[in-house]
Amino acid sequence: MPGKDYASTRFSGLTQITPSNVESLGLAFTFSTATTHGYEAPPLVVDGTMYLITPFPNVLYALDLTKPGAPQKWAFKPEPAAASQGVACCGTVNRGAVFSSGKIIFNTLDGQTIAVDAKSGKQVWRTQLGNIQIGETITMAPLVAGGKVLVGNSGGEMGVPGWLAALDESTGKLAWKAYHAGPDKQVLIGPRFRPFYASDRGKDLGVTTWPPNAWKIGGGNVWGWISYDPTTKTIYYGTGNPGPWNADQRPGDNKFTTGVFARDVNTGEALWFYHTTPHDIYDHDDINESIIADIPWGNGRRPVLLRPARDGFFYVIDRRNGQVLSATPYGYVNGYKGVDLKTGRMIPNPEKEPKPGRVTRNICPAAPGLKDWNPAAFSPVTGLVYIPHHNLCMDMAVSTANYISGTPYVGADVKMYGGPGGYRGVVTAWDPLARKPVWEVKEELPLWSPALATAGGLVFYGTLDGWFKALDAKSGKLLWQFKTGSGIIGQPISYRGPDGRQYIAVVAGVGGWAGGIVDGELDPRDPTAALGFANAVRDLPSKTTPGGMLYVFALPHE
Amino acid sequence: MLALPLCACSIQHYQSTFSDAAVEVRQFNTLFAIFLIVCAVMYSLVIAFLVGGIVRRRRAGEAYVVENGKHHETNPLMRIGILVWGATVGMGLIALAIASFFADRSMARAAANEKLSITVTANQWWWDVQYNSADVSKTLRTANEIHLPVGVPVRIILLSNDVIHSFWVPSLAGKQDLIPGRENDISITPTKVGLYRGQCAEYCGTQHANMALVVQVEPYGDFLKWWQDSLKPAMKPTTLLAQAGYQYVTTRECAMCHTIAGTSAGGTVGPDLSHFASARSIAAGTLPMNEANILRWVDDPQSVKPGTKMPKVPLRPAELNAVTAYLETLK
Amino acid sequence: MSSRCRTNNSFLAVATMLALVACHREERHNEPNPFGASIKAGESPPTIIPGTAPNSPLDPRAADYDNNAPAIAEGQFLYTRMNCVGCHAHGGGGMGPALMDDKWRYGGRIDQIAATIAEGRPNGMPAWRGKLTEAQIWKLSAYVRSLSGQPSKDAVSSRADAMSAGTPATLTRREPVKNADTAGR
Repeated sequence: MPGKDYASTRFSGLTQITPSNVESLGLAFTFSTATTHGYEAPPLVVDGTMYLITPFPNVLYALDLTKPGAPQKWAFKPEPAAASQGVACCGTVNRGAVFSSGKIIFNTLDGQTIAVDAKSGKQVWRTQLGNIQIGETITMAPLVAGGKVLVGNSGGEMGVPGWLAALDESTGKLAWKAYHAGPDKQVLIGPRFRPFYASDRGKDLGVTTWPPNAWKIGGGNVWGWISYDPTTKTIYYGTGNPGPWNADQRPGDNKFTTGVFARDVNTGEALWFYHTTPHDIYDHDDINESIIADIPWGNGRRPVLLRPARDGFFYVIDRRNGQVLSATPYGYVNGYKGVDLKTGRMIPNPEKEPKPGRVTRNICPAAPGLKDWNPAAFSPVTGLVYIPHHNLCMDMAVSTANYISGTPYVGADVKMYGGPGGYRGVVTAWDPLARKPVWEVKEELPLWSPALATAGGLVFYGTLDGWFKALDAKSGKLLWQFKTGSGIIGQPISYRGPDGRQYIAVVAGVGGWAGGIVDGELDPRDPTAALGFANAVRDLPSKTTPGGMLYVFALPHE
Repeated sequence: MLALPLCACSIQHYQSTFSDAAVEVRQFNTLFAIFLIVCAVMYSLVIAFLVGGIVRRRRAGEAYVVENGKHHETNPLMRIGILVWGATVGMGLIALAIASFFADRSMARAAANEKLSITVTANQWWWDVQYNSADVSKTLRTANEIHLPVGVPVRIILLSNDVIHSFWVPSLAGKQDLIPGRENDISITPTKVGLYRGQCAEYCGTQHANMALVVQVEPYGDFLKWWQDSLKPAMKPTTLLAQAGYQYVTTRECAMCHTIAGTSAGGTVGPDLSHFASARSIAAGTLPMNEANILRWVDDPQSVKPGTKMPKVPLRPAELNAVTAYLETLK
Repeated sequence: MSSRCRTNNSFLAVATMLALVACHREERHNEPNPFGASIKAGESPPTIIPGTAPNSPLDPRAADYDNNAPAIAEGQFLYTRMNCVGCHAHGGGGMGPALMDDKWRYGGRIDQIAATIAEGRPNGMPAWRGKLTEAQIWKLSAYVRSLSGQPSKDAVSSRADAMSAGTPATLTRREPVKNADTAGR
């Protein structure tokens, strides 16, 4: 599964590659995915076969790792609708496939969930969940938990109401669907719902915290990561931004967008909700990963979620009830004053609030947040969370957004640039107990790549201009790097091959929101292009070109 | 000159600065009266002296004579007169300044107690009115007509989406500009139930003259009932013709710019049409509301209000009838 | 004396000529099209036309909108309100391609742009026929052309209604109109 495990640690237990031998890591084989758009998915390795799911047109490849050069076994082409490319806000990406019970399950850009037999490549079932006519797409990696395939939609910039659906794993039929705004009945809030904080308690908050009817086009999409605790059969995930970006059009807290849900995986009933940023004004989706861990607390241990969130705060949340134990900025933040741990509420900074007709300058973190969807990795060996993230600030001006279904519903002009210090990216090794960084590695470009941590003591990640790097997990020292053909925004993985060796694999293909200027050939003379990101990476087209190549590395044969 | 205020007294204060329908306009009128009296007195004195000076011939001789190299006055009255006149003018001006200062202060004091907040956003050439509420799910968006409860201080927040406009309901308060990029406000405490007309008072483009608004001041209970009724979604069409019109309006050009609550039409470019047929006029006072005018407006807005942002949509006669029939049902 | 008259006469002649030219630039065209008018097939993107040499004359409506100041100003209003800005930003692109550069997948002539807006395009450009009137589509096309500096500088809007981030329209350099790759996208 994309997070390596249900706890989303992205931690590999393999130890063959270590800081002492990583400098001799070399290329074992490559594979061209025949796409040149942003590649965000991890390769999936099951039983000697590697599965790759590409961005649009979402081709699923199976490579035979038992043969030299990993030749292709089969390719499954779902042929999604080409028009879906026009309603995908941030690249025509796909964040991964999942393996369960002999099937590879993945989503397509035009809103289908497809299960394919892992051995033969034949379709087992296909379910249409999304409707591109209203601007709805699906880019997230599904998760299979408790016999259910969990799928969420995208479209927070298109006025699409957000939901999380559960399909039966063997048939693909809908088991339950929970929306993230609207009456309690459709948010699947019932008698078991026990939010920790008072402001999250009440009847039909998904209606009363919005102007009339605004919740129907209010966003709250689940396009990021879901974690699962099998002992309590609970799933944990965050919801996306409310729509439109112009917050003046939607006074009120706007529940249940930009917050964290815990739900029962069998019925979808909500167990608790924490509203990370009520009345979000900066597009700080809360879909980032929730790393499940048990940490020492007081005299014992406490079951928590570790969340490096988009708003710039590292949250440690008790996963039994949603209580925030700590919320500490892991970079420079001026858009908020802090989190009040008594009420759980984010304290806004009124000076940095965008207002219609004027430009609010130097808001940090920028709209992609201190860290966007690209997940961090947690190493139980070092106890650190390795967070590849940005250092970006923005100018923002809002205006009245016009709702036309199938078109963007934003109402904002944004221009982003590097934050204090001038560097635009940074890898932070964060100690969740001490609540401070242990080391930081600064990068020139923003980091849109996830991290991989290994038991061998290494942290792997890639840069937007194509450098694939290995750092020492304890000190952050750069031990090895390799220049790939295109910027890296995809999840690196580590697996044990059929020959017993440890391999590190990543697909290099620049794109997504950060790399859109390259794969979309955008024009940086307009700093508001790509929702403001083009200005932050004006130099990227001179540093990398589009691609979609798999790179697999290993130590040389003994 | 004196005939003009007399004219004003005779109309029903529908659109008159001499009304007493609100606390603010009363304060204005008090100030106006003080100014009028003081200035009238001054003016009369000036005219009197001027006439007197013309009638009485100039005496021979100068006021000042030079004799033996020294100046001396021949008519000390002249100097005294000028000093007295200067003092009178000075006192008059101070009186006016004090009156103005106190009027300003009392209006500002009234402005601190608002119980109701309305946001008016001016567009070319219509008024977007939003009633704000602490319970955000009761926020109401309408256009061109403002309902106010009598006796309740209201703060109207003034914004503009394009150019400078000016909010002026003469019977209730003075003018206040709506400037793009800036938030202004005006306070009104209406004291008399009634219907008052206002208009844009700053040239804002070719249809500036057709940018009127109406303020209905009503008892508090009626106001709340109106607010609740307006929050209801738009009525569903019952006749076949209206249903055909509903199909057109929600799926074609109309929905690109207009919102009709409870339907898929969510446009914010033009006025909210959820209760369109209950309004008194079409297009911000350009046409009175009736079936013939709805048809005339929808058929060709450019011939009624040339340059308006609503385009002439090429509707076939059957479509036009259907759309008109549907719009009439939106009470 | 006579030389002054002559100078005055030539000044008058020049002024009259300029005024006549300016009249056309400022002429408003409010919805002249009867219902049912559609953008002709001649506005297709540059492609092979079998048989005789291609001859796709410019649609006569183009003269009413290209280089027309009120049309470009109203196009600017529509560009933001109809959410073009959401996909194309202020010419730089995003979900949709950049409109301020020299690459045109489906043609950069004003009638070709109008055809693209009305018909939509396979990789995600929505089809606006029936949602925007013909006049609105032409006005938008005139504005889109101003993003790459095509109209004359006295017709373009000097004030952006948005955060002033890029070069104003009056200083935008005119880009050449080149074909771009439509395949594989």
